[in-house]
Amino acid sequence: MIETWAGSGGGADARGVRPAGGAGKAGERAGSRVLVVDDDPSILDTVTSILSGEGFQVMAAGGGREALTLLHTWHPTLVLLDMRMPVMDGWAVARAMQEGGSKVPIIVMTAAESAKRWADEIGAAGHLAKPFGLDELLECVEEHSGPRRAN
Amino acid sequence: MTALELITLLSQAIYVVIFLFVGVRYLRAPTPAHLDMTVFFGILAFVVVEQRIATALGIVPPEWFTDTVIAAVIALPYILLRLVDDFTAVPRGVKRGAELLLIASIASAYVLPGPTLPPLYVLLIVGYIAGLSFYCGFRFFRAGLRAQGVTKRRMQAISLGTVLFALDILAAGIGGQMSEPWKTLLAAIGQVLGLAAAVSWFLGFAPPPILRRAWQAPALRQFLARAANLPRLPTTRDIVSELERGAAAATGSEARIGVWDDDILKIRFWPPSGEPTDVEPGRYFSGRAFEQQKTLFSAQPARDDPEAADTYRSANVGAIIATPITAGEKRLGVLVLYAVRPPIFAVSDAELSQLLADQAAVVLESRALIDHAARVRAREEATRLKEDFLSAAAHDLKTPLTTVVAQAQFLERKATRDPSAPSDLPGLQRIVREAQRLSALVTDLLDAARMEQGRLTSDREPVDLGALVSAVASRQRAGAHTVEVDVKGAVVGNYDGRRIEQLLENLIENANKYSPNATPVSVGVWQQDGEARIAVQDRGIGIPASDLPRIFERFSRASNVDDRRFHGMGLGLYICRGIVEEHGGRIWAESEIGKGSTFHVALPLSEERRLN
Repeated sequence: MIETWAGSGGGADARGVRPAGGAGKAGERAGSRVLVVDDDPSILDTVTSILSGEGFQVMAAGGGREALTLLHTWHPTLVLLDMRMPVMDGWAVARAMQEGGSKVPIIVMTAAESAKRWADEIGAAGHLAKPFGLDELLECVEEHSGPRRAN
Repeated sequence: MTALELITLLSQAIYVVIFLFVGVRYLRAPTPAHLDMTVFFGILAFVVVEQRIATALGIVPPEWFTDTVIAAVIALPYILLRLVDDFTAVPRGVKRGAELLLIASIASAYVLPGPTLPPLYVLLIVGYIAGLSFYCGFRFFRAGLRAQGVTKRRMQAISLGTVLFALDILAAGIGGQMSEPWKTLLAAIGQVLGLAAAVSWFLGFAPPPILRRAWQAPALRQFLARAANLPRLPTTRDIVSELERGAAAATGSEARIGVWDDDILKIRFWPPSGEPTDVEPGRYFSGRAFEQQKTLFSAQPARDDPEAADTYRSANVGAIIATPITAGEKRLGVLVLYAVRPPIFAVSDAELSQLLADQAAVVLESRALIDHAARVRAREEATRLKEDFLSAAAHDLKTPLTTVVAQAQFLERKATRDPSAPSDLPGLQRIVREAQRLSALVTDLLDAARMEQGRLTSDREPVDLGALVSAVASRQRAGAHTVEVDVKGAVVGNYDGRRIEQLLENLIENANKYSPNATPVSVGVWQQDGEARIAVQDRGIGIPASDLPRIFERFSRASNVDDRRFHGMGLGLYICRGIVEEHGGRIWAESEIGKGSTFHVALPLSEERRLN
């Protein structure tokens, strides 16, 4: 059901990513399912390849609608959400998740100055201000995906 | 008492009342016009009073006295002519001719013997008086045509009175020579005409303040009603000319408004057509009224301001009221009312001028506030644009930067963990691609910033556009679209070659970017109407008509562009426009949704090319 990710892909289609292991908490991480939502294919590729390289299960969504579909079919434990996207933006995704009763934590991922404010607005668990470094990304995902994994 | 006697008594009483009225005016303001009016009505009053007294007492006056009365009556039309000259201009020749005839008529009145004059002589005198009166009536009528508002009404009344007077003289003169019943009938008609003439003159020469205000009221009301809308006119000049029109109509004179210009420290007057006139404070009546901040009146501007005497004479200005236009402490300008002759103005006109100046101040100050608000809005708009720019630039720069930083750190970590692991080629490619994207963005941003300062292009040299287009087209990446080049002869101009190359690259890349694969892009270069022309045509997605007007603006992208597929900040075409415009050329686009777009560029040719 989940397609295996193999190296660079073009475009922003939803893709499944197989945990690659390697890190110390491989087992724990492998239980985390991270959904990355961003309309920029380059960001999508980079973040998914890093997270899968670090042992997380990852799916990528190039837009709001794909994100909602994956939310229902793949049941992620954490959503990394870009806010400014065409057609369906981050706010709309967050609202749809709330209305659907989803308790999956969201991490806002944006280049805007107002990353923190936007995160508060939609009741997100945390935020990543672009440009973020590798450590920030991993720390943030680690912190928010771990304890809620059981849900 | 018969009706005729009553009319006679009434008209005679009116002559006496008018005489007293204008006499008092003359004593208050001894102007030439008031003197002439006093003499004119004095003669009329004297003649009727003298006859009444003589009849009542049964005295037969001596012949010299009768001759003097006749001479005075003969002088009436001449004084009328002087009054015409008091209100408007009378040709010098007419004045001299009238004086000669006057002297001849009076002399003959004394010379001819007897209490009754020969009929032919009487007819001649009647002809002289009626003729000159008709002429005066005509002059007042003409003055009325040129005037407006209260002055028009006054000139019409005087003109009517003068014509009625001429008819009165004719009726009395001819009637005197006829037998009954014509004699009595014409005398009766003459009395009615005399009464009507007296009333008309009274209203025209010396309108009571109430009547004057009533005549001014419609124009003034219209002016005040329109004033509310004036501040919204496109330019201050439009506002000023509307204010001038309103003030002229309300006062029945010419009106000019000078607006203080803080930059040149002068009062600027805009004539209805042509170049403006600037007046220094303290010069002319306008400058003096502005400097002293009080209303100035002059009935003899040429004498009161000798320095500018010629100006006033050549402009036929016989009277001036200058009133400063001031809003609180702020000196905005000056309202100047001109008349050909002083009697056009009344004392109350100074107050009216003040009222008009105050209204003008309100209008001009409102305008200043509107302008100020517009400037504030423009500043806010500029700030907002800058903020838009910053946020767009920040967003577009941070996105590739995220990939470059995070991806590079990830590669570094992998290499540290396992130096012998195979290199992550996709990761490296992502870094390279995003670094290039960053670099292009930074270049575009810097170009846009240079363009704002108008220094996008530098040294010009002869450039062959055809050769340049071919070179750029052949450099297009393999596997991209075919670029068909159609060059008609050498098209050479003096351009910044590097920037024109950038322009061509941008346009061709754009055409490729928004075209489906395998559809060719064609570029044409030719000369037309003394211009170098370039057209870049694609068969791509096209641009919606509603977006066409703004695609050359910064941060503007067509609404049918999918941001995910096509990166860009919307600066490319903005920079293209900058390059073309700095070369003195034009750029425009034609497009049809689904069929493709054509971008046209027209650039000036070098001099020798144009001559060929």
